[in-house]
Amino acid sequence: MLRAKWWKVLSFVLLLYTCTYGFLVKVPRLDDRMKESIRNFFFHVPMWFGMMILLFVSLVYAIKYLKSGDLVHDVYSFAFASMGLVFGTLGIITGAVWANYQWGSPWVGDPKQNGAAIALLIYFAYFVLRGSLLDIEKRARLSAVYNIFSFFMLFPTLWILPRLTESLHPGGQGSDGNPGINGKDMSSNMRTVFYPAVIGWTLLGVWITTLKIRVQMIQLKKDGLL
Amino acid sequence: MIQLLETQIASNEGIMVQSGKIYLVMTIVSIILIGLFIYVASIDKKITQLEKK
Repeated sequence: MLRAKWWKVLSFVLLLYTCTYGFLVKVPRLDDRMKESIRNFFFHVPMWFGMMILLFVSLVYAIKYLKSGDLVHDVYSFAFASMGLVFGTLGIITGAVWANYQWGSPWVGDPKQNGAAIALLIYFAYFVLRGSLLDIEKRARLSAVYNIFSFFMLFPTLWILPRLTESLHPGGQGSDGNPGINGKDMSSNMRTVFYPAVIGWTLLGVWITTLKIRVQMIQLKKDGLL
Repeated sequence: MIQLLETQIASNEGIMVQSGKIYLVMTIVSIILIGLFIYVASIDKKITQLEKK
């Protein structure tokens, strides 16, 4: 699976489709406040979807590690968390750029913006924790436990609190359902690009993650730990 | 003369400069994407070589 080729090619095809058709697809004008900037949906939002998926995989491997004590699971968990955080950081930066033009300031204190920042900070502490422990077993065990905690902090920070209050993001108080999943707010035209974009970006993230895993494995073998 | 040149340039306008020049942006983004994938693929290949050793 790590070395299989088809999903890497699929990722490339989907992203090439996103980066071409994403600029050509007819987008709704509505009241003309968003204009063409709504196309950021194909780039900014998949960063968050990708982050959530990668962090979920990281969580699964953290639990697996705690069950098995197998260092390989720790390597997987760490690599997926790292790439998830790369996506999250890109998401918050692209969000700030978009907000600057759409809402008038890079940081407007929107509940989802604040929640995302808190979620990222909680995850950054995961890396601080890892970096501060020298014993490999201890590092793997403690960071797996913390990983579980930080994943479940995504529930209030990203999925619950921003939806309870009024938000500039879609899905705040007063909107129907989950904007990410049932997508009533998105035109069907846009959905033909959005979902392939999410899959494409996520697969690219998985690919880069596997590279990190493979490098770590070579390193562990060299150190005689595997 | 300048006017003639301008009309000539205007008539030469291909798909890249029509309307909002969105095709230009599309091409730039696609080039970046292709370059990025080539780079990631080359790292993948290098790691595969390392693993074989």
